Amino acid sequence: MKKLLLSTTALILAMAIGPALAQEEIVVGTDVDAGTLDARLTRDTTAYRVADLVYSGLVHITPKLEAVPDLVESWETPDPQTFVFKLREGLKFSDGTPLTADDVVYTYTTLLDPDFNAPMRTLYTPIKSVEKVDDLTVKFNLDTPYAPLLSYLDLGIVPQELAEGGQDLATQPVGAGPMKLASWNRGAEIVLEANPNYWAGAPKIEKVTLKIIPDNSARAQAFEAGDLDVIQSPLSPQDISRLAADDRFGNAIMPGLGVTYINFNTKDPLLADPKMRQAFAMLVDQQTIVGDIYQGVDEVATSVLLPSSWAYSPEIKQPTFNLEGAVALFNELGWTDSNGDGILDKDGKNLTVTLATHSEDPNRVQTVEFLQAMFSQAGVDAKTQITDWPSFSTNYVQKSQHQIALLGWLNLVDPDRLLFSQLTTGGSTNWGGYSNPKVDELLEKGRSSLDQKERAAAYQEAAKILAEELPYFIVSYQGYQLFYDKDFPSEVNATPRGYLRGLIGMETQ
Amino acid sequence: MIAYIIRRLLLFIPMAVGMVVVTFGLLLIIPGDPASVLLGQEASPEAIERLRDSLGLNDPWYVRLWDYFANLLSGDFGTSIFQNQPVATIILGRLGATLELAVAALVIATVLGLAMGVISAMRQGSIVDTVTMIFAQLGVSMPVYWLGLLLMLAFAVQLGWLPAIGRGPPLPEAFWAALTGKPQVLMDSLSHLLLPALALSAMPAAIISRLTRTSMLEMLREDFVRTAYAKGLRRPRVIIRHVLRNALLPVLSVIGLRFGMLLGGAVLTESIFAWPGLGQLTITAISQRDLPLIQGIVLTFALIFALVNLIVDLLYAAVDPRVRLG
Repeated sequence: MKKLLLSTTALILAMAIGPALAQEEIVVGTDVDAGTLDARLTRDTTAYRVADLVYSGLVHITPKLEAVPDLVESWETPDPQTFVFKLREGLKFSDGTPLTADDVVYTYTTLLDPDFNAPMRTLYTPIKSVEKVDDLTVKFNLDTPYAPLLSYLDLGIVPQELAEGGQDLATQPVGAGPMKLASWNRGAEIVLEANPNYWAGAPKIEKVTLKIIPDNSARAQAFEAGDLDVIQSPLSPQDISRLAADDRFGNAIMPGLGVTYINFNTKDPLLADPKMRQAFAMLVDQQTIVGDIYQGVDEVATSVLLPSSWAYSPEIKQPTFNLEGAVALFNELGWTDSNGDGILDKDGKNLTVTLATHSEDPNRVQTVEFLQAMFSQAGVDAKTQITDWPSFSTNYVQKSQHQIALLGWLNLVDPDRLLFSQLTTGGSTNWGGYSNPKVDELLEKGRSSLDQKERAAAYQEAAKILAEELPYFIVSYQGYQLFYDKDFPSEVNATPRGYLRGLIGMETQ
Repeated sequence: MIAYIIRRLLLFIPMAVGMVVVTFGLLLIIPGDPASVLLGQEASPEAIERLRDSLGLNDPWYVRLWDYFANLLSGDFGTSIFQNQPVATIILGRLGATLELAVAALVIATVLGLAMGVISAMRQGSIVDTVTMIFAQLGVSMPVYWLGLLLMLAFAVQLGWLPAIGRGPPLPEAFWAALTGKPQVLMDSLSHLLLPALALSAMPAAIISRLTRTSMLEMLREDFVRTAYAKGLRRPRVIIRHVLRNALLPVLSVIGLRFGMLLGGAVLTESIFAWPGLGQLTITAISQRDLPLIQGIVLTFALIFALVNLIVDLLYAAVDPRVRLG
């Protein structure tokens, strides 16, 4: 009896003290382990998300994709090729050392060094030099006016002294962000804790744990079992509909920043004529792909401009699904079924084409198989080629060996990011060899003008041409989903990039 | 005996060299290049070429192979391209988790498999036999990732008894904690281990049970068993001393072989249960074409496999006096 009393007392005590001691803590599920946590070298979603918390950039990108000051107080553009940033006073890294203009210059100079092999370097190449004016002022000199630059200046600033002193930021990152790295158990979890040295003060959430669960369905189940507080894209369409219907969970479902698209190799003799590409595009039943394969998680796309972008215009439309129309167009171009075998032919040759994608994404594989079936209904002998990403990218698409490939682009924070390198003549990722001087001119104008109206007009004109000439056929705008436990300890402000600053109870956004 | 063990260990060296060469050859053949994976879709061809140069990927294959061996001789397994850490450090950090999972699965499989096999052999043709063999059939046919998700759905999501994913404290540490008065640490560790170990053990348990059954049935018909009964020995003694002991020999060698298969099965199980072991690492390394890391993992697996085979052979000699090692 005495024992029982004692343990009851202990229990009551524990209950009374419990909430006061409870740490505000969230556990987030993620699909891959981070490769490196050096802000300049990050290349996977987990690393981006951790780096966003551990480091701070000159600016912060809001969920609406606007650049707002983070480490800087303000900036000016004395001329279109110069940006001058004024840093806040008294900035500190999480280890307590001061952050000055030198660190900014160091971060961008190393990033731009070709031998540093930064994956995102191409986004910053219009920067000619970055110089320190005084301890709190940094000047960016550009080769040409480059409007998208601000969208990319959320790159985390790294501490020069530590980095040059030999600290491996890849495994022991130190930044000036709202959180800092507490521990990293490779392949299992990354634990972050609040950084009291953050310029806006420590966030309300004291601990963020990212648990690595590679399998999408297993991650959803772990969330349902209560092992995780938050999960987000990538998720399987089946799991999304189940979780959205469950009233234990809140959700944020919104248009994402990615597209799934068809890359036509315009250098291929069969596909060189835009009319041929139009006919093939008319065989893409977007409704069925988005509705049945992606189960409504994505949205039917109409052009190369995303609905979330200021440049979007619903007026611009690519060809839509029209089986008869496609056959008629093939006939017009000389492809008819002259020998009655059910396959279109011309000059004694059958209309044969290869559809390709990579094997990692089962939805893309299904889409390619579905396209193959639609193509054969129109009398096109379609073959498929499905290989894993490293061989698909290096040996195939990047070498322009493909005919029709199903692919995706992510993180499209600015129209420039989907169009310039991809579709200007000789662009570094123009794998389909597309070339149109008018489009080149418009895309150049879109990136160099600093007036958003002018930029939007240029992109819309380019999008109109692209919707007819179809080097790209955009199949769908990818959706973004985030699910959280209703007992979540802080407000939830999701962003389509999947970044977590909106979940940790920060004073400023 | 000692000489035999030393000879077997020395034999591992040519085997390891062979493994390295074969893996290296395979990696040369499979398309895809770590430089382009490392730099991502947006990288320019020049940037990829520059990285290939700095990684030494543009050197002729014999130079690369030679460099690899030269480093290996000095105990250097290379550096992971993606994690930028020594391969040996990465593998050692993961090895414990995989061994823990594989050994746990093997223990479960052996206990379950032997029990099921013995019982169904003793009651051949009965309902118990039929039910056991149906279980065995299911165990062989169910893919481990499917069984894993099913177990997770039942015990973690629906019943909420066990955690769905992850690993608790390492088992040896947990045992020590339990001995020093913290049994909850051991419970935590075991509760994480149970589901993945069960999923992984289904296939070997099924195989062991079928083999035990067949082997038992064979022995039950042997003359020496009839003789034993004729001598007036009681049934349990005959079964344990005469039948089971002889029936176990083929089972033992299969258990050894199964351990190798378990390491393979662990690759999938670890991905489902987010178990931070070598299996998960293998998948990542292959999908990124992280060549030094893949080489290191293959070597590790080969070494484990060779060691297990050696242990099985030694056990074999201990159990079966007819086998003499020399």
